[in-house]
Amino acid sequence: MIGHGMPSNRVAPLVRSRRLEGPYVILTFEHPEVGREARAGQFVMMKAGTSADPPLRRPFSILETDPDAGTFSVFLKAVGQGSRGLSALHPGDVAQCLGPLGRPFAAPEEGAEAIMVAGGYGIAPFLMFSRELMRASKTGRVFYGGRSASDLQVRECFDALGVAVVAATEDGTLGHRGRVTAPLEAHLDSMGDRPASLFACGPGAMLQAVASIARRRGLPCQVSLDPWMGCGIGTCLGCVVRLQGRGEERPKYRCACTEGPVFDARVVVWEGETTSAAASGDA
Amino acid sequence: MDLSVDVGGIRLKNPLIAASGTFGYGVEYEGILDLAILGGLVSKGLYLEPRDGCPTPRIVETPSGLLNAIGLQGVGVRHFVTDVLPRLAAYDTAVLVNVCGDTVDEYAEVSRILDQAPGVAGLEINISCPNVKKGGMAFGSDPRMTHEVVAAVRRVTRLPVIPKLSPNVTDITTFARAAAEAGADALSCINTLLGLAIDVETRRPRLGFGTGGLSGPAIRPVAVRMTWQVARAVTIPVLGIGGITSAEDALEFLIAGARAVQVGTANFVDPGVYGRILAGIEDYMQRHRIASLGSLVGSLEYPGLGPDSERPA
Repeated sequence: MIGHGMPSNRVAPLVRSRRLEGPYVILTFEHPEVGREARAGQFVMMKAGTSADPPLRRPFSILETDPDAGTFSVFLKAVGQGSRGLSALHPGDVAQCLGPLGRPFAAPEEGAEAIMVAGGYGIAPFLMFSRELMRASKTGRVFYGGRSASDLQVRECFDALGVAVVAATEDGTLGHRGRVTAPLEAHLDSMGDRPASLFACGPGAMLQAVASIARRRGLPCQVSLDPWMGCGIGTCLGCVVRLQGRGEERPKYRCACTEGPVFDARVVVWEGETTSAAASGDA
Repeated sequence: MDLSVDVGGIRLKNPLIAASGTFGYGVEYEGILDLAILGGLVSKGLYLEPRDGCPTPRIVETPSGLLNAIGLQGVGVRHFVTDVLPRLAAYDTAVLVNVCGDTVDEYAEVSRILDQAPGVAGLEINISCPNVKKGGMAFGSDPRMTHEVVAAVRRVTRLPVIPKLSPNVTDITTFARAAAEAGADALSCINTLLGLAIDVETRRPRLGFGTGGLSGPAIRPVAVRMTWQVARAVTIPVLGIGGITSAEDALEFLIAGARAVQVGTANFVDPGVYGRILAGIEDYMQRHRIASLGSLVGSLEYPGLGPDSERPA
């Protein structure tokens, strides 16, 4: 279906639950196919129990996998019905899990620094992506933004990999005060002519801002979109996003679940815009 | 134990059919589910040409339900016939196609194309989609237009013709009779219930289209009631649809008079739902010593009415 390992539908037992600050939690499930085959940027459709409330599963980015143990972990913020249900699980409890799903991040261009920009729990896919980068002997750096220091969880995991994390918080409790795009731009300025590839995951406004920076500077940029999803496999057509490739006359709706969630930022028609960068011909 | 049923000339090895709009074109489930477990599947609605569908957001959750306005985004019937149908031929399951049109002529033209295509077991006529501006529910909320569309399709095909009825009418039996008189072989009962969800912060509809169609367990009692009414009003078989997630849910529809059932929203929630429902039905048949599923159909003992007594007033 998507060429990155067939998804498998399983009732997966929770192996470990690690509570972090506030509503944040890391959950590890037994699911051999996801554990073995998932790549950074892919996701799993998950739901605790089988009750009709909430009716649907929710998509979660994969934080980490352990191919040998046949497990995967998700990092989530328990804010809605779906994520609260999952975070309340105890080891041995089960969740319905369908994955791995979607297209992963593509490797950065040869010789380019991979610059990952995360907003809040949008950090999730970048831990695995950093591991992939390290295995391929590439260099990476994370720009991590959120409201407050307590929203910038799992930072220490990147330290262990030797991937630098530059923090930005709106209230100034950690790192730069303000939006994450400020230190990002400062770093890009400092890079001069050295090549960079951007990767972004987080709130829509942040993705749009990063895409706009990439476009202005002529840098490649992949964004992971997070629309509301119904099925995760391209049948409900609920998660469509507007895309327009070079030479395409008008935007078309495409499924974020099967054709994404990772897209080239240039083909995305952003909120409030009528055409994509690719179609308007300046990218 | 015999789980097979005959629906308007279509032999189904079991009474479970994947409902239109919740199962894509079937091939999306390859590798996730063995499609041969299904009695049949109904494709996403198809027009002559590809369609873009509704603006986003397209789906919102409501209590025990799903409100959607997808707007029949689709690949068009010709693409389906050349690229999808051949792949579905590999599976031992009945392939039904959901036929759409902006006009009576378009319904007939789509049906004519499918009539010539190998591997189509039947046509489900979509006269009940609430999320398109033209066609759709307009044909399903005026009995004369229902008759006209079904008769037009009937004229161009020998395939079983199965209109899908709208619940958004005062008396669904009027439409069931109109469709039967026009030559329908069976009836799908029901499509989604028209609904509206509002974001109170913005005071705007939560769906991009505005209103949407409600599905899922929330609508099941309404669907069971309508299935029961329709099954008593016509002699052609009825396919019961609405919020089925378990064997018990499916059995409710069969006892109400459905010859087979369609599973919709539950496909999104659990692709493994068919195995669970089939196992549950077999267990039920064993416990109640039922050799053939057909004997269960329409066996409701309704207070004051025998199983075969007159239709309620």
